[in-house]
Amino acid sequence: MTGYIELQVTTNFSFLRGASHPAELVLQAAALGHPAIAVTDHNSLAGVVRAHVAAKEAGIGLVVGARLDLADGASLLAYPIDRAAYGRLSRLITVGRRRAPKGECILYREDVLAYGDGLIFVVLPSEPADKMLDAQVDDLRVTFPGAVYMAAQNLCRGDDRRRLALRADLAARLDVPLVATNDVLMHGRARRPLLDVVTCIREKCVIDEAGWRLEANAERHLKSAGDMASLFQGHESALDRTVEIAERCTFSLDELRYEYPDEIAPDGEAPQRQLERLTWQGAKWRYPGGPAAEVKKTLEHELALIAELNYAPYFLTVHDLVQFARDKGILCQGRGSAANSAVCYCLGITAVNPSRLDLLFERFVSAERDEPPDIDVDFEHERREEVIQYIYEKYGRDRAGLAATVISYRSRSAVREVGKVLGLSADTIAALTSQLHGRSSDPVTDEQIREVGLDPTDRRIRMALDLTAELCGFPRHLSQHVGGFVMTRGRLDELTPIENAAMEDRTVIEWNKDDLDALHILKVDVLGLGMLTCIRKGLDLIKSHYGVSYDLATVPQDDAQVYDMLCQGDSIGVFQVESRAQMAFLPRMKPRNFYDLVIEVAIVRPGPIQGDMVHPYLRRRNGEERVEYPSEALKGVLQKTLGVPLFQEQAMKVAIVGAGFTPSEADRLRRAMATFRHTGTIHTFRDKMIDGMIARGYDADFAERCFRQIEGFGDYGFPESHAASFALLVYISAWMKHHYPAVFACALLNSQPMGFYAPAQIVRDAREHGVPTRSPDVNFSKWDCTLELDEAGKGAYALRLGLRQIKGFKAEDGEWVEAARNNGYADPAAIWRRAGLNGAALEKLARADAFASMGLSRREALWAARRFIAANALGNAKPLPLFEAAGDDGWGLDTPVTLPDMTLGEAVMADYSSTRMSLRAHPMALLRERFNDATPAEALVETDNDAWVTVVGLVLARQRPGTAKGVIFATLEDETGVANVIVWPKTFEKFRRVVLTSRLLKATGQLQREGIVTHLIAERLEDCSPSLDSLAFPPADDAQAPRPAPPPKSGFRHPRNQNTVLFPSRDFH
Amino acid sequence: MPQTERSRDQKTREDPAPLIVVTETGGRSLVTALDREAELTGLTMGMTLPDARAVFPAVVVVPADPAADAALLDRLVAWCGRYTPWAAAEGRDGIFLDVTGCAHLFGGEAAMCADLTVRLESFGFTARAALADTPGAAWAISHFGESGTVVPSDETRETLARLPLAALRLDPATVSGLVQVGVRTVEALRNMPRAPLAARFGDVVGQRLDQVSGDIREPISPHMPVVPFRARLAFAEPIALMADIERGMRHLLDDLCQQLAQAGQGGRRLVLTLYRVDGDVFDITVGAARPARDPDRLARLFGGRLSGFEPAFGVEVMTLTASVTEPMAPAAPALSVAMRHVTAPDAAFCGDRLAPLIDCLGNRLGFDQVVRLAAIESHLPERMARARPALANAVTFAWPSLPPRPLRLLRRPERIEASVPEQALQESPERFRWRRTDYEIRLAEGPERIAPEWWTDDGAAKTRDYWRVEDMAGRRFWICRHGLLRPGESAEWFLHGLFA
Repeated sequence: MTGYIELQVTTNFSFLRGASHPAELVLQAAALGHPAIAVTDHNSLAGVVRAHVAAKEAGIGLVVGARLDLADGASLLAYPIDRAAYGRLSRLITVGRRRAPKGECILYREDVLAYGDGLIFVVLPSEPADKMLDAQVDDLRVTFPGAVYMAAQNLCRGDDRRRLALRADLAARLDVPLVATNDVLMHGRARRPLLDVVTCIREKCVIDEAGWRLEANAERHLKSAGDMASLFQGHESALDRTVEIAERCTFSLDELRYEYPDEIAPDGEAPQRQLERLTWQGAKWRYPGGPAAEVKKTLEHELALIAELNYAPYFLTVHDLVQFARDKGILCQGRGSAANSAVCYCLGITAVNPSRLDLLFERFVSAERDEPPDIDVDFEHERREEVIQYIYEKYGRDRAGLAATVISYRSRSAVREVGKVLGLSADTIAALTSQLHGRSSDPVTDEQIREVGLDPTDRRIRMALDLTAELCGFPRHLSQHVGGFVMTRGRLDELTPIENAAMEDRTVIEWNKDDLDALHILKVDVLGLGMLTCIRKGLDLIKSHYGVSYDLATVPQDDAQVYDMLCQGDSIGVFQVESRAQMAFLPRMKPRNFYDLVIEVAIVRPGPIQGDMVHPYLRRRNGEERVEYPSEALKGVLQKTLGVPLFQEQAMKVAIVGAGFTPSEADRLRRAMATFRHTGTIHTFRDKMIDGMIARGYDADFAERCFRQIEGFGDYGFPESHAASFALLVYISAWMKHHYPAVFACALLNSQPMGFYAPAQIVRDAREHGVPTRSPDVNFSKWDCTLELDEAGKGAYALRLGLRQIKGFKAEDGEWVEAARNNGYADPAAIWRRAGLNGAALEKLARADAFASMGLSRREALWAARRFIAANALGNAKPLPLFEAAGDDGWGLDTPVTLPDMTLGEAVMADYSSTRMSLRAHPMALLRERFNDATPAEALVETDNDAWVTVVGLVLARQRPGTAKGVIFATLEDETGVANVIVWPKTFEKFRRVVLTSRLLKATGQLQREGIVTHLIAERLEDCSPSLDSLAFPPADDAQAPRPAPPPKSGFRHPRNQNTVLFPSRDFH
Repeated sequence: MPQTERSRDQKTREDPAPLIVVTETGGRSLVTALDREAELTGLTMGMTLPDARAVFPAVVVVPADPAADAALLDRLVAWCGRYTPWAAAEGRDGIFLDVTGCAHLFGGEAAMCADLTVRLESFGFTARAALADTPGAAWAISHFGESGTVVPSDETRETLARLPLAALRLDPATVSGLVQVGVRTVEALRNMPRAPLAARFGDVVGQRLDQVSGDIREPISPHMPVVPFRARLAFAEPIALMADIERGMRHLLDDLCQQLAQAGQGGRRLVLTLYRVDGDVFDITVGAARPARDPDRLARLFGGRLSGFEPAFGVEVMTLTASVTEPMAPAAPALSVAMRHVTAPDAAFCGDRLAPLIDCLGNRLGFDQVVRLAAIESHLPERMARARPALANAVTFAWPSLPPRPLRLLRRPERIEASVPEQALQESPERFRWRRTDYEIRLAEGPERIAPEWWTDDGAAKTRDYWRVEDMAGRRFWICRHGLLRPGESAEWFLHGLFA
């Protein structure tokens, strides 16, 4: 039996062509006893890193390669023999990709000749062979002597003997050796259904009509050497050549050594020396009296370690970005494993003083693990683009690129595509997708299928669901990573191919962050963070209005009042802790210092929740449970968190100390969870960890929980260092909220959209904290919200809402209103004339009642604005100059009309319709008397536990968290506050429509209190939305009994239905 | 709601599940019609489909079909001809009837109104009707007032006073603009000064008010049926000679074909109607494989059929109608035959030559008796061809290039006993026995491996390996083995077809 190595392998990174993951193919090859396997995706190297990682784990070789599909010739398989040739292959693909639209690649024969040195080519002739083939092969053979082969397959098509003989003749005539391949599309024949589905998705057809576009049989899977030998009887030398080619290609991806850009040390100063110089300079700035001895020791220690691992250039690269941002006044904050070091503090990369934490540098940058440091930098989200363009400008496009993000099929997208292919009706597909919430990859149960009115025994539906499960996780296309930049000293395109991104002016490499990680290639994450924008705007306002200047590091720390506020759960708008879950958690956690905030940020996350670590921690913290440690060894690891592992690092450490993992094994475990989920090795890790811990005398239950926690970290790993960086922003935003509520609300509003709450709740919260608020007005408002001196309160500021709060009003118009205002506008025509706003824009202002300072009521203003709209429609866009001088608008006399006044209810509803809030009153305040039986939300606090109560309020949000199967959380708002309503699935089924469609909801049920958190467990629900309608459209005084509602007339929305859009809530469906 | 009702017919009438009709607009699916059950469960117009599903997961969803709705509305308009000739469709779901001078035939206006709604409701529609002096007023009341109202002439204004502005058929933007400034009813609008109103909302507002009150006339343009292609010939004296009848038919064909050519149409089905003096009427119907308007060719089609007609005392009127027509490109002068060989060797050319044959056979045997084999895209040999009506011109009869297939495929593969040498399990057998005869194989080629269609077959279907084999006598067979070979398992062999 001859050896055999498969050289033509299409993975699922040739999107919608291959039907197996790279790792599956590699493992199958190893199982078949092949010494190596090649990966040749179509014009792409996107899947090679995953194959490389799997091959290393499986202990077989990997031949890196690509299939080059040419526009003017036969396709070629190309394998680089060494690093230099790899660089050329990568550049070749880059050339083809950059000249084509996103996701495509256009290559010509001459490109191959230009970049083909050091590559081995296998020609894939078309059938029947192209006329051009002779010339193409001749060119290749002459240019690259000894490096050209021709492929032959035996795919059981009936006349294969003849085909083989013909191909052998052709190869002999062209004087190139014949090599056997199986043109593999899948790792095993069982993948055929999925392969067919994927083909149909690509061809956009239904499986029943796909016909000859599908493969006739399942032969294109990996085969054993024995099988290949029997298929190639008489052509044994073609089999031997597979081994020959693989042996010639000695290149391994491990050779891709990352080299730092030179720019960071411009004057020829050694990077380490420069880093040390900058660090000690920074130390003087951070510690005005000079660093304490202890700090000095830490710095020296860290610098020594950096020198040992040669990471100085990396720190300098990040420092350079941060420096740029600082010069431009862009707020930024580093996070990540290495970010919370003393060096980074001195370099200004982070504002978290490391002495406030007790983080060991080695834990993140460790010599023994050989893991690169990890620093992500968050910038203000509105100004991140400036930083990105700076990087491109500094390093050039051939040396800097964004990492890719592999967009994969998730259950929703997969079921939609598979359903279409299997010919399910759009309706059935919609019904199936409705059951697959979000990103979950849980299998769909028969129960769920029956619930949407489908038959779970229907063969096609079952098939669709099975195939969907298989398709999930398949890559679909490459997209750009949110901000992961790779910068190199040499050409980046010799590291990995670069392609165009969907966004103009962006280029993306073919590898994602896991691939880069696996090859130890460093990237810097340049991310946008809304809260930084908000804080910067807030600090600016404090400076301009209060004359005090702060930055992230100098905001007064350890302010007890700030912690008092957080303990009350008073955290609307505060970074990270404003969510419903966090607000409920704060009063139980009672944070009193910075480290408490670090824990607070990390604990309400899938990891600790899945690991069931939250409650034990709380019990111990509140003294309800004794703090004890699973073992003396783990005490060191878990002491900070009272014996309960909460952070990702701790979970890893538990695996090391508790289960006897080596550090690199623990790291592989984390990776296996997070990224290469399909390697199928998770179970071995699981057994190893749990058995290891039990063997060391730990409780089986504790071991199980620790493992589940690591599983939970898989999706959203949250290490202590990240939490620490976030905790600082938590503190600063809370500090601002407490001491400068007007500033905080103003900055939040001006940074929208961000965070959890709509402007209405932010404004309401500000008012509750004593900030006077004023509505948008053309004579006072800017585009942004501003602070105005409040005449009533001494030195206090009032919040003036900006024109940005007006629905549909454009920023450009807003700026014109601001710019042309001078001493104010006397009438709408003045705005029209001076600011150049058209009628539609004026109408939007009028709808927001922004002409009040002119003495115009909303209706009068609308009436006036309407005239400009009509004028626009007639083409009289501008007033005639002569009339303008005369102060006349030139359209003749306008008969004055008397318009009916608005009732308060009408005004409130009109406010909501234009600005999604009202400063006049809450709709519930006006409706209160109709709901005598309802308890105001604020009174719930004093109501007895288990009492039977009714609340009525606007629905702010409906949530159905994945962690609470089927339970619905609704947030209701009335004029006094917010009430949390829980609807159990049984109740939900009974009141389904009411829960899902009401804008004003009445809920009756039992009160349940835990700590200071109060819930209403709803038993009865009622849709009170018609009451809102009656506010907006009060019946006339002499009204008769209301007529029966007319049938809905198709095509337009009756004004009575308009309100449905007024109170949008955040809904799960 | 014609759409809903039409769809309801597709379901069983007893089926109580709520039904909604959904229109795709800009990537969103919106509910554009719904039935009473759906309304009761809380679904509303304009909801998105996901929302509707969230509210009622088992709702029956039907995609909107505006063309079918319009066609249905047209038929209803035609049906309304029983009340008045002046009927016209209005919008997507309304009908205007001008019943001036017709009402007394139905026992008065109120009775007529009631009759109309009752009949429509018996068809399964939800109907709302109103009768007033002007179309505008009737529209307003039928949509926003009480159904069945008959408004006396002097009460129009009063009846309309309280109706919302939408009753005036103003566009939604205008309505909401007026509502925003506090004008909510027809009466309130009427009380506004006209000039500033027109300066803001255009002349249409005043115009609608005037249409309602009758100050501006709003005519109703009645529905007119489409005239088919038709030719007629009447004789002063009845003709009884077959030759005369044929000449008359020829005359009619010339006339009709000219009409067809002008309209760019060709006839697929033609009906010749002969009115005999004795009062009997005879129809002769012929069909054509492809649209035709060549009088000679059509005359040939009629030729054979006409011979069976007995003129008796003579024919006094002949009509010729093209009851089914299809668009047909203007005839281009034919190229020389040689040219056509070069330029059109494909199906179109074959079609040209086949069409007369199909016409000929079809008109004699009935078109449902003439079939052609069309290729079906499938790898499975038994599924590859299907007989389709030869007239079905939407089907392509083109065949792809495939590995050799036997001329005769057995309807059902027949089991054979085959022996395969142990050391060459992957090879074809050396001999086999079929229908009690032994065949020794001299030559074999294969295997051609064909996997089952997993999406239709049940799980039992197996992959097949086909061999083309030739026996000592030169007979060629197509044999196959079911299932992939596993050591120790005996394989099942079949004979599936015969080559020459």
